[in-house]
Amino acid sequence: MVALMRRLAPGLLAGCAAVGLVACGSSSSSSSGKSSIKVAAGIVTPSTESLTGGKKGGTLTVLNHEDFEHIDPGSSYFAIDYEAVYATQRPLYSYQPNTFSTVTPDMAESAPEISADKKEITVHIRHGVHFSPPVNREVTSADVAYALDRGMNPNVANPYFLGYFESIEGAKKATGGPIPGITTPDKYTIKFKLTEPQAPIVVAALVLPVSAAVPEEYAKKYDAKKPSEYGNYQVATGPYMFKADSSGKVLGVGYQPAKSATLVRNPNWNPSTDHRPAYLDQINIQIGGDTNVIGRQVLEGSGLVQNDTPANSIVKLAYEHYRPQLEISPGAGDHYVAVNNSHGVFTNVNLRKAFWAELDREAMDKARGGALVTNVMTHFLYPEIPGFEEAGGLEGPKLDYNEHPQGDQAVAEKYMKLAGFSTGKYTGSKTVQIVGSTGAPAPEDAEITNQALKNLGFHTHLNLVDQATMYQKYCGNVAEEIDVCPSVGWIADFGDPQATLDVPFNGKLIITNGTNSNWGQVNHPKINKAMEEASKIVGVSARATAWAKIDRELVEEAVAVPYDWDKQPSIESKNVAGVGDLWNIGSWDYSYTSLK
Amino acid sequence: MSINTAGALPGSGSGSDLEFLELGGAIAARSPLQLFWRRFRQDRVALVSLGFIGLLVVIALAAPLIVEVLGLPGPATQNSNLTDAFGAPLGPSGAHPFGVDQLGQDVMSRVIYGTRVSLEVGIVGTAISTFIGVTLGVLAGFYRGWVDTIFSRIADVVLSIPLLLLGLGIGAACAVRGCLSGTIQPGLGLIIFLIAMANWTYVYRIVRGLVLSLREREFVDASRALGASDLRIMFREILPNLVAPIIVYSSLLIPQNILFEAALSFLGVGVRPPTASWGQMIASATPIFNTAWWYMTFPGVALLLTVLAFNLLGDGLQDALNPRYAR
Amino acid sequence: MSRYIVRRFLWGILLLIVVSALMFVLFRVLPTGDPAALRAGREASHKLLLEIRHDLGLDKSLLTQFWQYMKEVFFHFNLGYSYYSSAPVKDLIKERLPASISLVAGGAFIWLVSGVAVGIVSAVRRRTLLDRASMGTALVLVSAPEYWLGLIVLYLFAADIGKVRIFPGAGTYVGLTSDPWKWFTSLLLPWLVVAASNAAIYARLMRGSLIDVMGEDYIRTARAKGLSERRVILRHGVRAAINPIVTIFGLDIGVLLGSAILVETVFNVPGIGRLNYDAITHADFPIVQGTVLAAALFIVVANILVDIAYAYLDPRVRYS
Repeated sequence: MVALMRRLAPGLLAGCAAVGLVACGSSSSSSSGKSSIKVAAGIVTPSTESLTGGKKGGTLTVLNHEDFEHIDPGSSYFAIDYEAVYATQRPLYSYQPNTFSTVTPDMAESAPEISADKKEITVHIRHGVHFSPPVNREVTSADVAYALDRGMNPNVANPYFLGYFESIEGAKKATGGPIPGITTPDKYTIKFKLTEPQAPIVVAALVLPVSAAVPEEYAKKYDAKKPSEYGNYQVATGPYMFKADSSGKVLGVGYQPAKSATLVRNPNWNPSTDHRPAYLDQINIQIGGDTNVIGRQVLEGSGLVQNDTPANSIVKLAYEHYRPQLEISPGAGDHYVAVNNSHGVFTNVNLRKAFWAELDREAMDKARGGALVTNVMTHFLYPEIPGFEEAGGLEGPKLDYNEHPQGDQAVAEKYMKLAGFSTGKYTGSKTVQIVGSTGAPAPEDAEITNQALKNLGFHTHLNLVDQATMYQKYCGNVAEEIDVCPSVGWIADFGDPQATLDVPFNGKLIITNGTNSNWGQVNHPKINKAMEEASKIVGVSARATAWAKIDRELVEEAVAVPYDWDKQPSIESKNVAGVGDLWNIGSWDYSYTSLK
Repeated sequence: MSINTAGALPGSGSGSDLEFLELGGAIAARSPLQLFWRRFRQDRVALVSLGFIGLLVVIALAAPLIVEVLGLPGPATQNSNLTDAFGAPLGPSGAHPFGVDQLGQDVMSRVIYGTRVSLEVGIVGTAISTFIGVTLGVLAGFYRGWVDTIFSRIADVVLSIPLLLLGLGIGAACAVRGCLSGTIQPGLGLIIFLIAMANWTYVYRIVRGLVLSLREREFVDASRALGASDLRIMFREILPNLVAPIIVYSSLLIPQNILFEAALSFLGVGVRPPTASWGQMIASATPIFNTAWWYMTFPGVALLLTVLAFNLLGDGLQDALNPRYAR
Repeated sequence: MSRYIVRRFLWGILLLIVVSALMFVLFRVLPTGDPAALRAGREASHKLLLEIRHDLGLDKSLLTQFWQYMKEVFFHFNLGYSYYSSAPVKDLIKERLPASISLVAGGAFIWLVSGVAVGIVSAVRRRTLLDRASMGTALVLVSAPEYWLGLIVLYLFAADIGKVRIFPGAGTYVGLTSDPWKWFTSLLLPWLVVAASNAAIYARLMRGSLIDVMGEDYIRTARAKGLSERRVILRHGVRAAINPIVTIFGLDIGVLLGSAILVETVFNVPGIGRLNYDAITHADFPIVQGTVLAAALFIVVANILVDIAYAYLDPRVRYS
């Protein structure tokens, strides 16, 4: 029910500094090549599915419990949004479904050219790509430039633009008008001029939907609205488009919020320009409905998929009776208990270790659906990310508080005593504020966490709020000084260890006057410094080694209590040849999925 | 919709209030309360309900003892061995007669402890709203004029607010740190506060009506002639005559309040976990209701029986107050 | 009479103003969801927040904001903008209204007819087994929380997950205009559940009221005139006894239109109550505020209509 929120790196200081497009995290297959994550027998994973040979035609019906957040490519940032956006829009680069690391040119014609000083990027875009009606004309580099300019338009409110594109000349000051560092020397070329040698991270971020072309002359009037209405009138460049009336209006035609959406074929799409096979004629998306009902309909019916997380009982049913219709995607992010390292009782490292030792992490994973969809998380780099094996693989670092995932009271007591509580129980006067989130299985996370803290003698105050509220108002708000956030999680946008560890654990990236993503306010000078050094390192395996070492230090400082490496389940009807996206927590890719 | 509806109070629509006055004024030999009790005693259904409610009170007070005698784990004892490999809870068994929930907590134990929340909210919430309603009602009925106008208009405003929606809004808004610099805290206190805000109007309207007629009676004139202060007249002369109807109408509010708490908890702004509340249990059973029937069934039955008992008791009290309506 | 109506209307408007002001205090002054943070999304920078605050006028004084808000609500019927759904709240409410009306209209029809019928039979056959059985059932239905009743009937009878698969289950609602038969069948279970507790209340009320009326002098007069008992009950008794029912019927419909949140939630009927519930789970406060206001409007309007109807209907008003 609760889909992981995609999070990326605001204020990411340095990307992976290797040259070339595929350098950022391209080694994920080699470093985690031992495939230590086991998915139960007979179950499809995105890396084993076939991308070719699908049957053409037919209508796929998608039953989703959750609604889209933003269908505007400039603001979308959510697994469910991404599936619709990547079927209708073409960013400069994109991933094929079976990879989290290898990038394919999409609207771009080829890999980008990067200058020796890493301050200039040149991208050539394809000829012969046309916007869907009513715009119809060919896409030019100016449309890509405008799309990126929109990234700084407050009416569009893109959540990640500055995090990756801050170094583009004039980007920081832009408010929707042309960004000086982005120029278009001709109709098929776009150039980026940077103030810092940050080309690798800028290039890597061009897979994000904000780089999908937007026709300025058409979109301008919608972008002037507060907030921008372009999403409701959008035009497409991909194989599909949101159904629209003759004026281009999508809202009420191809998208009824909280009810339904319809993707039809884009008449102006030219298959020879695109890596997407686009087998289907149409995709009908129905929104809302009970996950138990949806799940049964998908498993028993035909031509259906669910594209958000199925209910636990449905996963069980699928595993027992419809195994070929179940796909499990490993490397779907992680969940950990954020513990406040900067305020309150948990500034004491021994109390953090005691908590880690006490927490029944196996019970937490069981409440999340058991071993089929989880692995006990033992450190902070997650499977499919380079450095995972170097940091200890599934077993993780051998430390006494990490060794018994079902909780170990003796070890917990040992650390309570080290913290100065001779009875092994907390006897101080402070109340621990816990803020969890509603919607199964998050309340269970919170209650098990609460129980562990009570076992240690803490007085606790447990509150459950909506997930977005939890992030915005409490766990991401430094001033609230929340002690424990049991349901936070992270998915990196690139298969790179820095993208996994930097933002949630680098003390220099704590945001005090906005929405902070270092929820535990982890701020240890030694680790901050190591991160700064590691971010400058070039070369995938060298980076993996350096960040695995940082991972180890994070575990030794017990900066948070990790409990779950997610494996995301997805379900399809018997006659659907679903193709899930490894890069998007296994969600079904509409441009690759076909009907049998 | 049994909440926030005038019709939810059985009998509140007709002219029953005035009959009591005749009863109270004319027969001086036996106090109205005594008469009331004599009649009530003959109502077997109401007596059984009273007995059941007594039992509930005992269960609430002695919950830890009962749970121990029955050999059940505590209401917040988690046990991940009681869920299957997919995290689904196991059904009723000898050791866990009502099954367990997603955390492996014993449902029977939680149902027993849930009695505490329901009764607390039902009784405390009703007491507060009755207190407010009676105080304002007596003042408005006695002074009439602008006092009456102000209180009655406030009551109108309260009645035109969809309280369940408002309650949800406040509950969500005041989560974690509370509202008004911590005065309103989430949890039981907030629910009781909301109930008090919501329900005093019913009591207020009835009491005000009764006082309006009582103040014209001779005994009021008499005590005024004797130089009694307004306060004395209101609370020593008039109020004692209102005890029976107040008992009746507040007893009818109790089941409403229990349902209101359960509804708020069902919608997610009720008591704080891990405190067991029937509404919260039904809510957390909802995602798995078709695979774990026991989890939604038992708290629901407990809620139903409790509310039913209070409704039957209220009916009985009302009949005793108003013999003309008796069955 | 017309003066009475005008006064009633003015008072209704005043009530709405007070309720709106309360909403403003609750959702703008109390530390609830910051509209700017909602708009800005998860990774908002401080600069973005400030810009949005300015755009939304949140940096102005509270008094200015209040005036702005009241002006929008009362002169432009503008209930704000939902950043979660990227649509004006007014449009969302308008879109959800048909489902709410469908649910309430069908449910109200069932509970009125069955409630009144059972009430009359019980009153006439007072103290019989039939009377006791119907009143007992009624009391059980009044005592059952409707969301629980909803889960139970879904568990037993829903076509997708039930034990005996008869009725379409939760989330099957379709608009009346798109498929009348599906509309009808999808609403059957929600109607029955909405009607259950209300029918029970109406039956009890009708019974009490009719017993009350049957003891009046004019009934005795009618009997003395030699009219048949059936005629006495239907022509004289029921006609007078139904007045309190009419009052409450109007009020209940007003209340339910905006706040059938429990039934709409359990059956996933996309009405206003469901909209409110979803908004709360997403901390989408503009919608919460808008739906509460809409619900208050329904209640106030229903109150006014009922008062006017009552003034016409009540024989004591009419005949004296």
